Amino acid sequence: MAQAQAQTTVPYREAGGPQGKAEPARMKFYIDVKRCIECGGCEVACKNENNVPPGIARIRVVTINEGEPGETNVAVPCMHCSKAPCVAVCPVDALYNRPDGIVALNKETCIGCGYCLYACPFGAPQFPKGSAFGARGVMDKCTYCAGGPEVAFSEREKRLYGSNRIAEGKLPMCASVCATKALIAGDAEEVANAVRQRMAARGAGGGAWGWDSAYGKGL
Amino acid sequence: MAGLANVFGYGAMTNHQNDIRNSRSIMIIGMNPAENHPISMQHILTAKEVNHALIISVDPRFTKTSAFANRYVRIRSGTDVAFVYGLINIILANGWEDKKFIAERTYDFETFKNEIAKYDPDTASDITGASKEDLLWVARTLAENRPGTVIWAMGGTQHNHGTGVVRTYCHLQMVLGNMGVPGGGTDVFRGHDGIQGVTDVGGGPETLPGYYGVGETAWKHWAKVWDVPYEWLLERFKSKAMMEKPGFTVARWYEGVLMDAKELGQESNLKAVFFMGHSTNSMQQMDRVKKALEKVELIVDIDPFVTNTAVLPDRKDGIYLLPAATNYEQPGTATNTNRDLQWRQKIVDPVYESRPDLAIMVDLAERLGFKKQFIHNMKGDWKGVPATPMSQKDKYEKALPEQTIEDVLREINMGCLSIGYVGQTPERLKRQQEWAHVFEIKTKKAVGGPVDGEQWGLPWPCWTDKHPGTAILYRTDVSAPQGGGGFRVVWGPTAPDNKPMLAADGSAPKDGPTAGYPAQKDYAVDLTGESIKLALAEGRNPYGNGRARFNSWNIAADPFPIHREPIHSPRPDLIVKWPTYDDVKEHYRVPQPYKSMQKPEWVKSFPLILTTGRVVEMEGGSAPQRTSSWLVELNPEMYVEMHPKVAADNNLRHGEMCWIETPEDMDGKPSRIKVKVKITKRVGPDTVFLPFHWGGVFEGNSLAHKFPEGTVPFSIGESANTVTTYGYDRVTQMQETKTSLCRVKKA
Repeated sequence: MAQAQAQTTVPYREAGGPQGKAEPARMKFYIDVKRCIECGGCEVACKNENNVPPGIARIRVVTINEGEPGETNVAVPCMHCSKAPCVAVCPVDALYNRPDGIVALNKETCIGCGYCLYACPFGAPQFPKGSAFGARGVMDKCTYCAGGPEVAFSEREKRLYGSNRIAEGKLPMCASVCATKALIAGDAEEVANAVRQRMAARGAGGGAWGWDSAYGKGL
Repeated sequence: MAGLANVFGYGAMTNHQNDIRNSRSIMIIGMNPAENHPISMQHILTAKEVNHALIISVDPRFTKTSAFANRYVRIRSGTDVAFVYGLINIILANGWEDKKFIAERTYDFETFKNEIAKYDPDTASDITGASKEDLLWVARTLAENRPGTVIWAMGGTQHNHGTGVVRTYCHLQMVLGNMGVPGGGTDVFRGHDGIQGVTDVGGGPETLPGYYGVGETAWKHWAKVWDVPYEWLLERFKSKAMMEKPGFTVARWYEGVLMDAKELGQESNLKAVFFMGHSTNSMQQMDRVKKALEKVELIVDIDPFVTNTAVLPDRKDGIYLLPAATNYEQPGTATNTNRDLQWRQKIVDPVYESRPDLAIMVDLAERLGFKKQFIHNMKGDWKGVPATPMSQKDKYEKALPEQTIEDVLREINMGCLSIGYVGQTPERLKRQQEWAHVFEIKTKKAVGGPVDGEQWGLPWPCWTDKHPGTAILYRTDVSAPQGGGGFRVVWGPTAPDNKPMLAADGSAPKDGPTAGYPAQKDYAVDLTGESIKLALAEGRNPYGNGRARFNSWNIAADPFPIHREPIHSPRPDLIVKWPTYDDVKEHYRVPQPYKSMQKPEWVKSFPLILTTGRVVEMEGGSAPQRTSSWLVELNPEMYVEMHPKVAADNNLRHGEMCWIETPEDMDGKPSRIKVKVKITKRVGPDTVFLPFHWGGVFEGNSLAHKFPEGTVPFSIGESANTVTTYGYDRVTQMQETKTSLCRVKKA
């Protein structure tokens, strides 16, 4: 396992970037509440791409104040936090930060204790329903379409974690299909640029929901 | 479409979705793009963010789109004419109209002003339910933020005076001078990706392809295109009169089966019905549809999925399901809402027994004895296709050579001269596909490369294979060969009152004659294309340079749109003042009563307005969507949206079942459906909303046992259209599914 983990393909920044050196990218999500129209495209694309069973939502669009002024939609995947509380509380170290910031899960280490569910501010960890004796089963969550600690593109990876678009050099499926570009994924620098541009155009408020909570203050 | 065509000359969205990025105000009325055109929202929201465009959402429901609006105005369903004319009344009272545009490019503004006087703010507010403050705010916003666009969809058209509603939207844009400019226009979004194309190639019963109508000239033109003798076509009809008579519409075909033949506009009843990619649960009065499907001798349903049609009628035989290939299994073109054509590649071979639509059509033509004529213009590999019916092993025909589909487009290029479907050749469309990256997002125009200067999708009119296409119709700041044009001259150079129908001096496409001019002679029937080229060489648009009409003197409905109360109106007092039309003896071969169907007493026993619409997870009859586990998980079952007050008054709680009942229509019996209650303030306390996508349950009884084995969708449910009632547009016969009356009962 450790060997496979070491082999994980992570995206790198170009050496010519502001940092001036090649280093792992920091993959983030930007969820723009001023743009999300609750079309559900991300949810369906995620399920189709990763073959997620019914009842499990690796990303879910939440609507508040439905049908009234102030109605707002938020797509909620795993935010892949910088100091991820789920990683901190996991008693078996099944959760870990990849060098590119993606919070990955080892399903074969997970004991289904559910601590991560209580720790996560976004409700990202998912558990299958209806197991006997109330057992939760192994946790499942958004992988940022980066598969898991297995050989990339292997049958085993596909079965346990779904697709590995990051290793293919592609963005997560949810962000790729977003109709209004409400959900943006990518390296922190690129994403921050998009947020900055939108803030400048709007005059106020980038609408970046969950940003502070996941990544701390600032861009 | 008829509304637009009767004002401007072409029945199409005038600008394009990307162009909304140039708008400074956006009025979305009778439409919910966040659910029904999600991709378009990126342009609408960009306009809001970058241009600070003000978005106004006018709808009986507070939709997902309304959530993004700067102002939401709730109007009573079916009162759009009063709302829009109320706005124009305020605009004229304040002198906010574009006087130059009106003088140079429109017809009969003087009489129009008198009509508008009837809709003072008090009247408009009383009819629509919108406050006078709302009306003033919207009028001022549209006037102060030009260019602005008006966007609508079926919320505007599905009324007994839907064509009138559409014309009022056009009139608003004419008064504001928002026509023919980037960021302006009348932007109707069509309901499906290919609907504009279907209309263009003669999907309606009143015209051959290219809007030529069904008269003798039209038939002779197409006889020339198809290279068959006109007499041969004539022979195939009972008489010349029948040949030139519009057929039944999709809205009321079933009356052709059910009514006594003596009442019909033809000698006998309909005996067979063919469905190609159309579902019956989107048809109003589905209880009548069901009866017709039981009475008709032959039903053929051509679809990739088992639709509602297959399970609705109680009959043992006479239904044939032909599996059709999906758009991923066959190449071809699709025309989108803004007239753009796009080439579609085939991704995979058709699965199982499914076949490309064209292969099915050719086989049908063969059985009917005119395959030779039917495939005449298919010059490619087509002739090598075996004449015998295909077997499953017959890979050759299953995989239908791409060349044959190209030939179909070439035939359209040859024949549809009237709308300039000439330059969208397969070669150009495929080249655009390859060079898609060089098109600019705001203008849809290519910069550089072999496609330099072309508009994406070569939107019609695209007059020649050098023409860039017309992304924005009726635009005079570019030259005719570059996609400029005035309004289309369809009704001659002068109106019946001898006023000019050609544009005034000073208003014409750049680099051509400076004043209005008539259409080029024979441009629509000259197959050589020389007439078109001649006009373009002189800087003239082949269709002429005319005026947009406030007064549509030759339309079947009112010359100036008049507010007509819905057939099922909740306001008996307004029925007296604003009644629907007089009964019509024959419309598309069926009698069409109006006033005799409008009963003021209905509202006493059916106090709620019933409106229908779509949800984002589903599409049309939704046979494919309800067969997808991911989509069904997101929207699992049929429901009714109900205001908390309505629910409480009827002792209903969220998630309980209730009956929705509507008045008797032509059947003489009330209809009802059993659905789940969803309590929400999306609807007001006078309205309930039903999504129309479900099927497979009829008046409380499941039809699941009728599906062929293994084809029951994951989700079946009552169809909203089981309870939608009688009511049809005076011009197009579009169904009045947006406004009816109903009552709610605990189940």
